[in-house]
Amino acid sequence: MHHMENEQRYTKLRKMVLVCMILVPLIPFLLTIAIGYYYFTSALEKKTVAATSRIVDDHRSMIEFFLEERRADLEFILNSYNFDYLAQHENLERVFERLQIKSNAFVDLGVFNQEGVHVSYEGPFKLTGRVYKDEDWFIEVMKKGYYISDIFLGFRRVPHFVIAMAKPEESNKWVIRATIDTYIFNDMVKRVRIGRTGEAYLLNRDGIFQTERRSGGNILDEDPDFEKYRTKNTDIKTFTQTDYRGTEYFFATTWLKDKEWLLVVRQESGDAFQALTRAGYLILFISILGIGSILAVAFYLTDRIIHRMIETDTEKDELQEQLIRASRLAELGEMAAGFAHEINNPLQIIKSEHTLVQMILNDLSEKEQLSAAEEMAELTDSINQIGLQVDRCSAITQSILKFGRKSDTTPKNVDLKEFILDVIKMISPRATVNGVDIRLNIANDLPPVFGEAGHLQQVFLNLFNNALDAIYEKHGVQGGILEISATTEIGGMIKISVTDNGCGIDVENQKKIFSPFYTTKPLGKGTGLGLSVCYGIVTAMGGSMAVASEKEVGTTFTVRLSPAQKNNL
Amino acid sequence: MEDIKLMLVDDEERFVRTTSKLLARKGFRIFSALSGADALHILKGHNIHVVVLDVKMPGMDGIALLKEIKRNFPLVEVIMLTGHGTLESAVEGLKSGASDYLTKPIDIEDLTARVREAFEKRRRLEEKIRKAHSNLCVKSPEATVKKAGPGF
Repeated sequence: MHHMENEQRYTKLRKMVLVCMILVPLIPFLLTIAIGYYYFTSALEKKTVAATSRIVDDHRSMIEFFLEERRADLEFILNSYNFDYLAQHENLERVFERLQIKSNAFVDLGVFNQEGVHVSYEGPFKLTGRVYKDEDWFIEVMKKGYYISDIFLGFRRVPHFVIAMAKPEESNKWVIRATIDTYIFNDMVKRVRIGRTGEAYLLNRDGIFQTERRSGGNILDEDPDFEKYRTKNTDIKTFTQTDYRGTEYFFATTWLKDKEWLLVVRQESGDAFQALTRAGYLILFISILGIGSILAVAFYLTDRIIHRMIETDTEKDELQEQLIRASRLAELGEMAAGFAHEINNPLQIIKSEHTLVQMILNDLSEKEQLSAAEEMAELTDSINQIGLQVDRCSAITQSILKFGRKSDTTPKNVDLKEFILDVIKMISPRATVNGVDIRLNIANDLPPVFGEAGHLQQVFLNLFNNALDAIYEKHGVQGGILEISATTEIGGMIKISVTDNGCGIDVENQKKIFSPFYTTKPLGKGTGLGLSVCYGIVTAMGGSMAVASEKEVGTTFTVRLSPAQKNNL
Repeated sequence: MEDIKLMLVDDEERFVRTTSKLLARKGFRIFSALSGADALHILKGHNIHVVVLDVKMPGMDGIALLKEIKRNFPLVEVIMLTGHGTLESAVEGLKSGASDYLTKPIDIEDLTARVREAFEKRRRLEEKIRKAHSNLCVKSPEATVKKAGPGF
């Protein structure tokens, strides 16, 4: 019950610590990443947009400059010559030659009178004499004085566009018209290199291609996506749009100034924002790495913290239990002393009675009132036995009283031989019951040691009892040998060895055997304190303690104590 | 040998009875009491030499009785006998004037030896007092008469 409550408490605590450990670093981390991402990407995006806009702007200027120049060429001809002069074919030919030297974009040159009749023509086609009076371009140029056509097929069935200019002369108006080579124009418009997929093209106001599009789109075809970016605005416009094939493009568009053509520069978004995407991936990678390490550290630290807490709590519980056990032991000691006292009274009576019986028998036999029969000898023997057994009981109660005695705490010289024999007396009943053969080898000339008898008693009782436990585990109630020897070593130290032929201790456990709370006994049997306390007592006395053991063979505990100082003797 | 008048005080009746028999056989004159009050009563009527006293008794316990005896009958030697030999009770007993301190169960031979020792002690003390008295008598007979008093 208590255990389960604890488990729940730890689970709750673990969750709380974990949440704190994760949130505390995670929130600022995510904020930093998000803010960084926002500023970084918006800066990158702005840079990309600005770069593309600039390209569109430059490209438009170039196209406009080209058209402007062609117009200036025609204007120059219009102002330099009159209609009659140019109507002569050889004159027109000469002028056209000079024009072509200036710009090879001109394909042909023609002169029209007010009625739209092609009076003179220089170029690859035979157009002289044709009447254009009802053609749109002619009506337009007569009205406005200047005209640039969209790309059209015309009489020649080849895509081309024309620039025409009209000039009033006296009461009449005449017109010159030049055809621009679409290949040259097309190449010029197309020639824009942005990234891998960047392209530029012109559309008229109805969305018809005026120049070719690299990614697909022939001259005079209609752009199926035109509706999506139709605009009246003459400024540069940038936006992202998915085309009819499902590819997302980044667009920059602008209308030309003098001609209703829309210049479109577009690039696949992935290509245009490649740096942005790369930055995004990098930030994602960093985020995952960061979150991963935060989680890992949080889990690791939480585990450590909870583990330590459980350890501390367990230690605390064990100490508490130990305290309770110790006080119970003290109570038990006092109780035992009380029992011993109470038993001593009846023992005294038995002893008195026994003495009385002996006396009476002696008197009677002295007066020769008893025959020295065999029964008499048996009776005497029996009575002697009673005396012996009473003495034995008395020895037991005396040792209990000695053990329970609390006042014996001042250090003094202790005669080890006598002392060890006393302690053995306490364990000998148990040894006898378990059939353990106690072999003693205690030197007669052992010097005394200086210490608290109660503490020393605890040390030896512990060692002997442990030995008996080990023997019982291995042999049950037969075949155990407990050997206790004490000698003075060459250096003057007193060496006491306690050797059993019990179950032994494996190497791993031997290392830890003197540490507190370490026990191999089943739960509730040992406190794990016995040997550590012994170790503490022995080292406090300036001695040392060691263990040597072989599994299934036996164990020897060795205690070395220094002899009492001479001035204590 | 002079008759030693010995009183056993213990609440264990059987102990008192048997031990009395044993000690009587050893040649002592035995008185016995089962309580402190009995013991004081007997002491008033007889010139008891040595008292063997159980420390733990119901009613008046051994230590209290010992103090009482030493106050009223200072010459009486008291031997404490107990089942529980703690150092504290021994020290207190000896401080209060007990001449010896023994733990149960005790051998009858031991006990008689201790009783004889105690009696010897008392005899020597009486001898000293007698000597002092005779000296006093020589020097100042009046003072002796005064000091001796009728009860002595």
